[in-house]
Amino acid sequence: MSGPTLSRILYVEDDADIREVVTMSLQMLGKFQVAGCDSCAAALDLVDEFNPELLLLDVMMPDVDGPATLRVLRERVSAESAPAIFITAKVEAGDMQRYKKMGVLDVIVKPFDTMGLPGQIEQIWQRYRRSLNDSGG
Amino acid sequence: MTAADEEFARESARMSAAFVAQLPRQVQALSDDLVAWLSLPREAALLERLSHKVHQLKGAGSTFGCSGISDSARVLEQRLATLRSDATGGSASAMDEVEAAMEALRGEANRIYGESAQRGHRGTQT
Repeated sequence: MSGPTLSRILYVEDDADIREVVTMSLQMLGKFQVAGCDSCAAALDLVDEFNPELLLLDVMMPDVDGPATLRVLRERVSAESAPAIFITAKVEAGDMQRYKKMGVLDVIVKPFDTMGLPGQIEQIWQRYRRSLNDSGG
Repeated sequence: MTAADEEFARESARMSAAFVAQLPRQVQALSDDLVAWLSLPREAALLERLSHKVHQLKGAGSTFGCSGISDSARVLEQRLATLRSDATGGSASAMDEVEAAMEALRGEANRIYGESAQRGHRGTQT
């Protein structure tokens, strides 16, 4: 066993269609609790009450993008230690390095298979839990 | 396939159909935004908003299995990025390329919508 199972995911995506299908996939297939938000501001409204275990953030959003949203959320006690996964269509070598420096666990590249998404997130989560166990965390 | 898989597949198909049904309207709205920007080419915010909407359409297209829409939106997004990086507001040829990419996107949207409507029509025939 690698540790506690993942339950609560705070998901920020500005596109309503994608947010709906991804939320549906994570809830129906992954059995996760998902708080879907359309913006950084909406996420800030929900984060304390929801107390997420994982942050799932679209990178390219208007006004406040994914990396900036992560920085803002990390200032809240309820999300300061929650690991994050970014979703983006564009990943270049420099981007990955920048994201890793921000403590992002992994990046899911669009387009992704919505049916396979819960399994993909579960795998990333289990890898994260193993790394915590290995480091005695 | 589990019951949850089947339910998800059904809901997903419903959402894809809804996405296709509004595609021509969505592309027309993008086209209107482009016309609005062409009349006010110094309004960088208009171009930025349009670029973001095209980016969203690219993502939604691939999520809902419309790779042709995603590909056409990607081309338009690239052409708009060229315009955005051009401090002079874009050369005539760059504008032409944007308009051509918008037409290609419109053509793809109409094609997918037409195919879907035909399938729906056939599905209702007894």
